[in-house]
Amino acid sequence: MAWQFERVAGPFEGSAGGVVRDGDAVIFSTIDEGKLRRFDPASGALTEVRRYTNRVNGLARGPGGELYGAQEGGRRLVEFTPDGRVMPVDALLDGKYHNQPSDLVVDRAHRIYFTDPRHAVIPFGPAIFPFLDHCSVLRLERNDRRAWVASRVTYDTVSPRTVLLAPDEAALYVADGEPKEGEARELRAYPLRPDGTVGHPAVLQTFGTDHRGPQRGIEGMCLDADGDIVAVGGWRRSGPGPLVYVIAPTGAVIESHPFPGDLPNKCAFGGAGLDTLFVTTGGGELFAARTTRRGHS
Amino acid sequence: MDIDLAAPGLERIVGTNPPLDQIAHGLFFGEGPVWDRRKKRFLWVDIIGDTIWEWAPGVGQKALVHPSSHANGLTFDREGRLNVAGWSQRTIWRIEHDGSFTTIAARYDGKKFNSPNDIVVRSDGSVYWTDSAGGLVIPGMVGEDMQRQLDIQAVFRLTPQGEVKLVVEDTVYPNGLCFSPDETILYVNDTRLGLIRAFDITADGSVSNGRAFHKLTGTEPGVADGMKCDQEGNVYCTGPGGIHVIDPGGKLLGRLRVPGHCTNLAWGDDDWRSLYFTTYHGVHRTRLNIPGVPVG
Repeated sequence: MAWQFERVAGPFEGSAGGVVRDGDAVIFSTIDEGKLRRFDPASGALTEVRRYTNRVNGLARGPGGELYGAQEGGRRLVEFTPDGRVMPVDALLDGKYHNQPSDLVVDRAHRIYFTDPRHAVIPFGPAIFPFLDHCSVLRLERNDRRAWVASRVTYDTVSPRTVLLAPDEAALYVADGEPKEGEARELRAYPLRPDGTVGHPAVLQTFGTDHRGPQRGIEGMCLDADGDIVAVGGWRRSGPGPLVYVIAPTGAVIESHPFPGDLPNKCAFGGAGLDTLFVTTGGGELFAARTTRRGHS
Repeated sequence: MDIDLAAPGLERIVGTNPPLDQIAHGLFFGEGPVWDRRKKRFLWVDIIGDTIWEWAPGVGQKALVHPSSHANGLTFDREGRLNVAGWSQRTIWRIEHDGSFTTIAARYDGKKFNSPNDIVVRSDGSVYWTDSAGGLVIPGMVGEDMQRQLDIQAVFRLTPQGEVKLVVEDTVYPNGLCFSPDETILYVNDTRLGLIRAFDITADGSVSNGRAFHKLTGTEPGVADGMKCDQEGNVYCTGPGGIHVIDPGGKLLGRLRVPGHCTNLAWGDDDWRSLYFTTYHGVHRTRLNIPGVPVG
């Protein structure tokens, strides 16, 4: 049975980005507006949580409930603390500033994996620090002095979009590639070692090109309770259009659901039964659908 | 140093061949220049390098405050205390004569400032500063709390009685500010608009009659940032290509071409005729014929 999505918030100005569970509600970012909003599906209430986020895109929870964001505009990760502060969660990579984080996921050891592509909207302020000569998945973890330390995780990505950990944290799923001619768009599963490094990946999905141009690959992912990957991607311009996929860890597509909005961006399960999938879009919207699956808690 | 002449009058200021001396190099982001007339030393900051530096002729350079919480603009009050636009610290603070640090302003209307950028002290002890939000976002310049609370990027004033007042609220990105020599005019530039505005200062320290004074032009690297006046009321403002020299009527006289992206300037030495200026990566000095307005 196809999931019936309806728009529950927006459109807001520019793109909507990360979405993360917050109790029975969800918090989502509107990147260009620089805001975080909370949507409660039970009441339909929409409230502003943060302003001036400086283009925070992806959102993720830490093992203690911490709320982290990928701040494209500041070239860093940030933590939104319960007392209202925004703290930088950043470190240099081999002495250099990295690019513009777009998505992130936190493991049980409190290591943060994040995608570090470049974005068409350049950061505010003087361009003192050049961008890296690669766009990779990076990892932040605290050292014995509690300072964050950055490491490079992938060496084969060209523009990583979104990251996800398998339930047992033995695999790191990475969607790579923008819809550009000559740029591969793939969903890969990297075996993840206990030390946070990865092995050779398996390509789970690849996205092609038709006469209308390259297909848009996967931009957002979350896990369901079975350990399958729920992914959003595609666009109206080419390919099969905007879709929500359920993909097995092996790469088999178990389900796909047409998505009514364009440019689906990020997704997360929420709601009282954790069976509602929330999807943000490049058009600044938040959609929701009751599904036949439950989110991974 | 190289000079661009735009109108008669600049030759009298710069002479025929102004020197260009390098004072410091190797900075990440130089800013906050100020001359300490009492100790005959020059101070500046490296915002990203998180240091307030001092340099004395014939002695050399050493760190004065490190870490500095990414301090930005510097000036001296009439008691000779260093007043600091705290940028990522989000406060105005000063160094007392005994070396201790005092926060003198931290909030307006109960909200944290954005990131105090540049600072001047009037002869009555009022402290004026610009409060743009760059210190909440720019890589390498942020502090421990980046949550912006104010919806405006404004000019504020701390009265001698210790009260924070809103002075100019309709700026987009206020940056440099200075007084005319007689302190009747406050000049404020706006980086985003490339515009210098002038305001009449009233007896109580508030301002009125805001008006466009000069619109910066040019395509070279450089933006409206640091700004100071000489004793004849000419306004010197960083901008494309270097330092733009503007007469009291708002007419561009010409530009001092600065090697690198110029960020701020300050007069110094005993006769206040040396013009020190900071760039992203260094500090330089030249000599001019008209002295600047003394500081402190």
